[in-house]
Amino acid sequence: MNSKSVNNKWSWMLVVLSAVALLVFGSTRSSGPQTQADRIDAITKVLACPTCQGESVYVSRASAAESIRAEVARQIASGQRSDDEIIAYIEARFGSRVLLVPRSTGLDSLIWVLPVFALVCAVGTLGFAFRRWKVVGSDSISEEDAQLVERALREER
Amino acid sequence: MFAASGINGALGRAMLLVGIIGSLFGAIAAISSARQRDQAVAKLIPRFAILVFAAGFGAFAVMERAMITRDFSLAYVQKVGSVSTPAVFNFAAVWSALEGSILMWVLILAGYTLAVTFWLRKKMDDVLSRYALGVMFIVSMFFFVLSFGPANPFAAGPAGVFDGPGPNPLLQNHLLVMFHPPMLYLGYVGMTVPFAFAIAALITGRVGEGWLLATRRWTLFAWGFLTIGIVLGSWWSYEVLGWSGVWAWDPVENASLLPWITATAYIHSVLVQERRGMLRVWNLSLLVSTFSLTILGTFLTRSGVLNSVHAFSQSAIGPWLLTFFAVIVIVSVGLIGWRGDRLHSPGSIDSPLSREGAFLANNVLFAIFAFVVLLGTVFPLIVEALQSRTIVVGEPFFNRLTIPIGITMLTIMAIAPVLPWRKASQELLSKRLFWPAWCGVIALAGSVWVGATGLAPLLTFALGGFASGSALRQVVLATRRQGLRGLVGRANGGMIVHLGVIIIAVALAASNSFTHSQELNLEVGKVATFSGHTFELVDVTEEKTDRATAVKALVKVDGGKAYAPAITKFTKQGMNVGTPSVKTGLANDIYLTLEPPVRQDENKARIKVFIKPLLLWLWIGGGLMALGTLLAAFPGRRRKPTSPTSDDDFAADLLVTL
Repeated sequence: MNSKSVNNKWSWMLVVLSAVALLVFGSTRSSGPQTQADRIDAITKVLACPTCQGESVYVSRASAAESIRAEVARQIASGQRSDDEIIAYIEARFGSRVLLVPRSTGLDSLIWVLPVFALVCAVGTLGFAFRRWKVVGSDSISEEDAQLVERALREER
Repeated sequence: MFAASGINGALGRAMLLVGIIGSLFGAIAAISSARQRDQAVAKLIPRFAILVFAAGFGAFAVMERAMITRDFSLAYVQKVGSVSTPAVFNFAAVWSALEGSILMWVLILAGYTLAVTFWLRKKMDDVLSRYALGVMFIVSMFFFVLSFGPANPFAAGPAGVFDGPGPNPLLQNHLLVMFHPPMLYLGYVGMTVPFAFAIAALITGRVGEGWLLATRRWTLFAWGFLTIGIVLGSWWSYEVLGWSGVWAWDPVENASLLPWITATAYIHSVLVQERRGMLRVWNLSLLVSTFSLTILGTFLTRSGVLNSVHAFSQSAIGPWLLTFFAVIVIVSVGLIGWRGDRLHSPGSIDSPLSREGAFLANNVLFAIFAFVVLLGTVFPLIVEALQSRTIVVGEPFFNRLTIPIGITMLTIMAIAPVLPWRKASQELLSKRLFWPAWCGVIALAGSVWVGATGLAPLLTFALGGFASGSALRQVVLATRRQGLRGLVGRANGGMIVHLGVIIIAVALAASNSFTHSQELNLEVGKVATFSGHTFELVDVTEEKTDRATAVKALVKVDGGKAYAPAITKFTKQGMNVGTPSVKTGLANDIYLTLEPPVRQDENKARIKVFIKPLLLWLWIGGGLMALGTLLAAFPGRRRKPTSPTSDDDFAADLLVTL
């Protein structure tokens, strides 16, 4: 291949277009009907096992988790409630400590807000640093380092 | 009986006491000789290092002896020892609870102290070496004291006990308990070495690059072991816990991940300092954070503040660890502040689109990643302290935040390896990224072809292909130029590690997103089908030993070999432990668990089947990461040593001459 064809704008367009097309097609097509087992898995993954410490109902083998799993399975089999309604029902029965996803209200919302805040701060600092470096431009070398390099070069010879 | 027990208890305590005294004198010798430049005192340092190691090794050996001879006069042996534990698990029982784990920490730390002393034996004239060893001795002393006092494994137990329950059942049904904790500790404790050098550099004010180059390989070594330890831990979770997962974002897992994240950030950003002399404060902070996170993690998980599935080891060492953590942070921050003037980085970064710019972006991401993991781990504590309410932060939270971080990291991994230092032109990028980008498109097309759906997994596969294209490009160019030597050295070994990481990312995305599971009620003689595979129950057996009763269901998968998921009831603990059985394959793992209730006489069994795509590749990726780390540790040949400070031998000389 010669570098001209590689640098070709058109081939890059082709890369981008095919990637976008594949992504759109792949992520929007349906993955087949959701089975009851899939629904049970999805729901139990966001419920905490009330007697264990920090494990989800999906993960836990404890008897409390077994009974919640059975209850979820029964609700899904009856086919009357949506996933969210089942989760709300389980929460009403066992209390909010069975929710594995922190709420987005009150103090709990901090767990969602703080990472975003940290990201904004970090990216902001980085952007600021790059701007400052651009202004400073030239390298200023400290005395110590200059001596270091000098000595090293002398020894090299 | 009593006489023999007295020996183990007394001998162990004596060893620990020798360790405390040895570390104390070692620290005094190292620091006083560093302050007064006293060569005679400095000569004593190696002897104290040998003494400390002998004490640590001796204490551990005594504990093993007590465990092997079933010396039930010790409270610890009463807690985790049992007459009926098989020899291998009995050996590993020493580190199955808190006191023994701290003892292993002591042993490994003493080993590192001796190894560093040996490595520095010809550079002992250097003040920096002495200060570094002083720090190692002080940290050793803390852990010896911890083991002697609040986490004493040699305390006498009540008399008249002749048998115990043995270790937690989860820790006695897979061989990985022999390897996962020691590997993890080799990584965890190994982070003390770069920390010691960082502190020594700050004290001596020689915050240039010499110390950093000298300790780079130690950091890489510890990082490699931490990686292996984490991968083995996931493997253990997969093979033992029976929920078919490898990572549950459990606080103990997070505690091992946190120092790994900051150490990974360091391994990357240190290259910027070597090459450009920048980011000094940042790199020092990363080393200090890594070490203090090992202490904080131990505090969080071993003091009982946070409860987790690993809660079988808790005691009153919390205040000790928290105090030590505070001291580390205060001293380090104080030293960094004190040396602020010398830490000012010369130079600047010309363009964000350069190797150093990419490393900075990588570091920002790793910092956010560490912050998210730490926040999620301690958040329940904060809520409980402020509002006395219990909340649970689990996998959904971590997945939601870490998946975007992971995808962004893959993007950087795709672009960064082809970037030159200083500045990259658009033509250069478009030329170098062209084939890697096509690798990404092909990977994406392939995954769409086999039926993958969902934006996050597809992005992972596409970027995984792209990033492996970039990594392979580097390796291919290097081997074409230098033959097999092109596989060693930091840059090339690093790319092998990248390939391992990419394989793990793809395997995680595939196995998390496309797992199917189904419960099957099997009967002998009938064939059930799920997801294109057949399952036939052959037999249900029961095996009784004096330790446990195991019920096994023999299930033929696809008409071939029979797999035997089991439920084992450990008699002494009254605990049921499920043992999954896995048919491993390159494309899919078929993971079988036996579900309760078990009715052994009816020729029936309830089996849960998980089909997990690409899961095997997690372990292959982990192996590749270990291999890459090993290759990266060998000194590679640089084409043009443009900067003298990037040469390894020079760094060693520097340490002597300075």
